[in-house]
Amino acid sequence: MIRPARWISLGLVAAAGACSDIATPIRNDFYEWRLIVPSASGSGNDSLTFHWPHERLPVRVWVENDASLPENIPRAIAAWRAAFLYGEFDATIAADSSGADVIVRAGAAPGTQFSRVRLHSALAPECEGATDLDLSDDHTQLRLPIRVYVDPHSDPNAPNLAECLTLTTTHEFGHVVGIFRHSGVATDLMYADPSVAGPSERDLTTAEVIYHLRSNLEAVGP
Amino acid sequence: MLLLALLLPDSVSGLHAQTEYYARIGAVGASDLLRDVIVDEIRVRQSIAPMIALGASLPIGAPGYRVGLEGTLASGKFHSSESGTDTDLGTLREASILLNLEGPVYREFRWRAGLGGLQYWPADKDGIFRSGGTARFLAGAGLDYRRPVLPTWDLMGSLRYDFHRFTTDELKARGFSQTQGVSRVSLSVGLSRSTR
Repeated sequence: MIRPARWISLGLVAAAGACSDIATPIRNDFYEWRLIVPSASGSGNDSLTFHWPHERLPVRVWVENDASLPENIPRAIAAWRAAFLYGEFDATIAADSSGADVIVRAGAAPGTQFSRVRLHSALAPECEGATDLDLSDDHTQLRLPIRVYVDPHSDPNAPNLAECLTLTTTHEFGHVVGIFRHSGVATDLMYADPSVAGPSERDLTTAEVIYHLRSNLEAVGP
Repeated sequence: MLLLALLLPDSVSGLHAQTEYYARIGAVGASDLLRDVIVDEIRVRQSIAPMIALGASLPIGAPGYRVGLEGTLASGKFHSSESGTDTDLGTLREASILLNLEGPVYREFRWRAGLGGLQYWPADKDGIFRSGGTARFLAGAGLDYRRPVLPTWDLMGSLRYDFHRFTTDELKARGFSQTQGVSRVSLSVGLSRSTR
């Protein structure tokens, strides 16, 4: 090869390398997150997907001072924020429940009201959790606040109670983020009866994907 | 900065006398730090940021040629863009250092080219910087203009271009492979202590 041609070839190789982009990961390992309810029109189902709009961030969370919730809710927020690279979700603790987007209480969930959808989870003997979503009749609005209940049952000294409260709180907060269904895989935190301490890769990918799809529920209130 | 001058032993006072020092202020802009696709394309880019540059150089070999060190510091916002919506991702600081070779072009104009490193310091460990900042190799080139304004001081204007490949530990942990080519261009003005 003559010398100029060699330099041109080297230059082209260098230019091609310089112009190439980073290779993005394939995010295809996620599960069904949508809330599927009988259609408001009476036939078929409505598949409801929700993520917090950017203008409502950070989500304001009021937390009852019981059942280790003041310690566990910030951990849950941090665990789910780890799903996001581009500032898609954030939450903060609110001092006043009257203006909160999410209210987290200790204790058993009250009786379900007619318009509410309850995501009940964590069947462990030490504790359980529930998240109530208040939907408008036409299934276009999510009326705030979202209400979360973490119930330590009766015995405060039960073995493994602390771990149960931590993972149940983080699980319920996954519903708050927008995962409105349970995973079918036991190694996911969003499994109905979770046993892992934090969100799995599948949980995080599912949350990440939700925030880049169009939401068909509009948050209204409080 | 000015490491070059400080490293000179006192015995080479002649070299001290020939050392040029300069300081400039200006602005730097950069191409995309990252392009990602989740559903639609997402781009992460820095805003045009204020910068300062400090440097020193010594003569070498042929007349008019010098070797020097130049450090820059810039701080500005960065944001992601997706489907026409921008999201503020916080503040990002960058520090660079380049070992340069410089020489004459025409009259008051001089060229320079060098190799060095660039460090990113995010204000918050979050998002693509959740695992912290990153250090990258850097290659750069530029054009300087100097005009005498005082007996020992020159007004200095500089145009710089540099290039590096960007990634972070967090991106690697999240399955991103290879790196993103990032070009930066800066314009700055300042003063140079002349050796006339």
